[in-house]
Amino acid sequence: MRMRPTALFGAALLTTAAATAACGGASGTASSAAFDPKTCQGGTLTVLNQGGLSKFDPATLYTSGGGALPSLVYRTLTTRQRVAGEGGFKPVPDLATDLGRPSDGARTWTYTLKDGLKFDDGSPITAKDVKYGIERSFSPDLPGGAPYLHDWLVGGADYKGPYKGGELKSIETPDDKTIVFRLRAPHGDFPYLATATQFAPVPKAKDTGTKYQNAPVSSGPYKVEKYETGKTLKLVRNPHWSRSVDGQRLACPDRIEVTAGLDRSVINQRLVSSAGADARAITTDASVGPEQLARLDSDPALAKRVARGVFGETKYLAFDVTKKPFDDIRVRQAIAYAINRQSVVNAVGGSALAAPATTFLPEGKAFGQQPYDHFPAGESGNPAKAKELLAQAGHAGGLKIELSFPNTDGEGYGPKVAAAVQDALKQAGVTVEQKPLGEEDYRTLVGKPATQPALTLQSWGADWPAGGPFLIPIFDGRQILKDGGNFNLAQLNDPAVNKEIDQINTLTDPAQAAPRWGALDAEIGKKALLVPLYHPKTVVLAGKDVKNTYVDQWRGWYDVASVSVK
Amino acid sequence: MTALVDAAAVPGAAPRERRVWRRLRGDRAALAGLAIVAVMIVVALAAPLLTRLEGQDPTTFHSGLLDSARGGVPTGALGGISGEHWLGVEPGTGRDVFARVVHGARVSLGVAFGATVLEMLFGVVIGLGAGLGGGRADAVLSRLIELSLAFPPFLLALALMAIVPQSVPRPLLLAAVISLVSWGNVARVTRAQALSLRTREYVDAARLSGAGPARIAVREILPGLTTPLLVLAALKAPINMVQEAGLSFLGAGVRPPTPSWGQMLSSATTWFRTDPMYVLVPGGLLFLTLLAFTLFADGVRKAADPRWSARA
Repeated sequence: MRMRPTALFGAALLTTAAATAACGGASGTASSAAFDPKTCQGGTLTVLNQGGLSKFDPATLYTSGGGALPSLVYRTLTTRQRVAGEGGFKPVPDLATDLGRPSDGARTWTYTLKDGLKFDDGSPITAKDVKYGIERSFSPDLPGGAPYLHDWLVGGADYKGPYKGGELKSIETPDDKTIVFRLRAPHGDFPYLATATQFAPVPKAKDTGTKYQNAPVSSGPYKVEKYETGKTLKLVRNPHWSRSVDGQRLACPDRIEVTAGLDRSVINQRLVSSAGADARAITTDASVGPEQLARLDSDPALAKRVARGVFGETKYLAFDVTKKPFDDIRVRQAIAYAINRQSVVNAVGGSALAAPATTFLPEGKAFGQQPYDHFPAGESGNPAKAKELLAQAGHAGGLKIELSFPNTDGEGYGPKVAAAVQDALKQAGVTVEQKPLGEEDYRTLVGKPATQPALTLQSWGADWPAGGPFLIPIFDGRQILKDGGNFNLAQLNDPAVNKEIDQINTLTDPAQAAPRWGALDAEIGKKALLVPLYHPKTVVLAGKDVKNTYVDQWRGWYDVASVSVK
Repeated sequence: MTALVDAAAVPGAAPRERRVWRRLRGDRAALAGLAIVAVMIVVALAAPLLTRLEGQDPTTFHSGLLDSARGGVPTGALGGISGEHWLGVEPGTGRDVFARVVHGARVSLGVAFGATVLEMLFGVVIGLGAGLGGGRADAVLSRLIELSLAFPPFLLALALMAIVPQSVPRPLLLAAVISLVSWGNVARVTRAQALSLRTREYVDAARLSGAGPARIAVREILPGLTTPLLVLAALKAPINMVQEAGLSFLGAGVRPPTPSWGQMLSSATTWFRTDPMYVLVPGGLLFLTLLAFTLFADGVRKAADPRWSARA
């Protein structure tokens, strides 16, 4: 607490010049001298968040592309390219010299570390540290990461981590600079996976198990000064990091102070007013709400502080096709025809925050999306066509179904969307009974095929920007998990689909794989296993003194490594 | 014998009630309150008729009436008020606000009245049991009353609403839960009154003439309790309405798409800047009804208070 006034005072001094200039000249333009990466260093950046600080161990974090805050502390073999626009979809080398060299038909991946890499205590980063970091993510004490490593690495399914299980033989480190991964099957997407925090080096001597997150060893531009679970994270510069060994992170602010546990509307209200330290604040998880959008329209100064972007994500209605009445494709098609996407989009905040979806893959070249609309419902649904199909299926007198969904609206597939779906289906003679469930219950019930409700609202986001992590967990028949954690809710097990997935996995060139994923999506779409509803969009505000704000394409949020507050 | 005892009890009570009503008639604020409450009740009862007259219903979406690019606020002034939508439409969905508030009135008033009736029932039965039972029964029931008063009522209600399965009809459940957490006061007042009445001569007379405890409670004690209980009920109804609004506001009330005022207010809070009309309608109605209830209850209390008459 004693640190705080000093920090505020220091920050205030730094911006005095800019503030006086702003008062004298035309406001807005005078204070925003053009951003220059060479002179952007300095100041304290405040990050105001709703959540995201419940854990900070690189083994337990589940991130896409290494996350917003974790990737400031943990460097990984590869990372997402830090540029605005489509280039942001690409993985680039981080600790490694390249994206990895595949051999044995993409079953083996070899990486070489760059020269001069150091931890925050000055000791060199070796391939063994990277291997150890991955190994500890297999420990049952440190759960939570993405499941891919367990699934892909040879022996990964049975390995229990270094505390009990010794070493994982499928990761080899022939010397301090080289690391080799041996996979059970070809995986052309390995360079994307290597952006995850599990690929961050952890020195074995400094590993304190579950307590490691309180004082992790940094390989990135910042190190942890203070971490309080769920509340605060304070980052200061890591003296052993420099831009000469890291081509991606600009790391402009001297300090970064993150506060979590705030309400979304409070965060956006604070960013709008930009008072005191909030003028140098951003958020990495609180999108502008629908109620504020109208204000952005009427205030041009505010509109300038807004960045818009997309995270590859689809909200959809999922059928269990093994259960009645959804075993009949005509019933599923009827529901697809009846959906009123305009009312769904409005329910979640209108066209600025959501785009109607007719494909399961999100928009963007990286995903390989091929536009299709097999059951055209138009803007507001086609109840006549739906009634016709229902009559053919023997439900001329109407149909009664139950719809299960989480009982909160935070994730964008809660009660508001359910109400819009209910209203649209009513026009087609389908009576929907709402079954709101607590978040915890919902996940447990949906995750097991035996207890899974026949019709649910769902959301699927990209673990990395490619078609694979979108289609494999949802449609691969070998991914039906009977004991929980299942996402193949349609219970589809089609040998042709499985075979195509295996074939695309062998491709190491994303440009070749993408159109194949897109074609597969369009083909599966004909089966009406799910009804895509919308793709969310992000609209985020920044404080008035924050520069170089853009929404990175990979994650759909501000890239903290690029912003400046000077 | 019985006739004689009854005659002794009734003439004592009847003039008092007549006196209360006479005084109430002179209280303009209380009468205005009563009139507003009466109008609200009529509106609630006639909700389907009124919405048919308007040509709308409370659940149909009207996406075309919203400005999608501006977060789904209603197009047009004052929250989209028009000849077709008398009080505008809801942002985000386009559902008709008039249809939703009049249907919401059914929930708000229905639950408030239902809870009050149930609460009086529990309170009177337990209070009479304690006051007339005496001895061990009084000790046990009095502790029970104290126990119920010791719980924070709203938190208890919230917890009860959460654990009961979703299949139980929500308005009924709301009334039951609200009455269950707030009967303590009624029981306490009833017990105190019963204790003072049971020593009256006419009660002794009834007892000597061989009347059983149940008969004494219903025929002798209860009539003497009518006025204080009516005052209490009038005061309790608005409190119960607030409880319902609060529970619905926190998402523990009726299940969507059934509208209620508290629930509408809850979804309106974030819109107060961009669509103030949406907050004003349910908020204003809730305010007006509560004010009316309170004015009426206050009038009844004053009219029934002997000290007040002495001063007047």
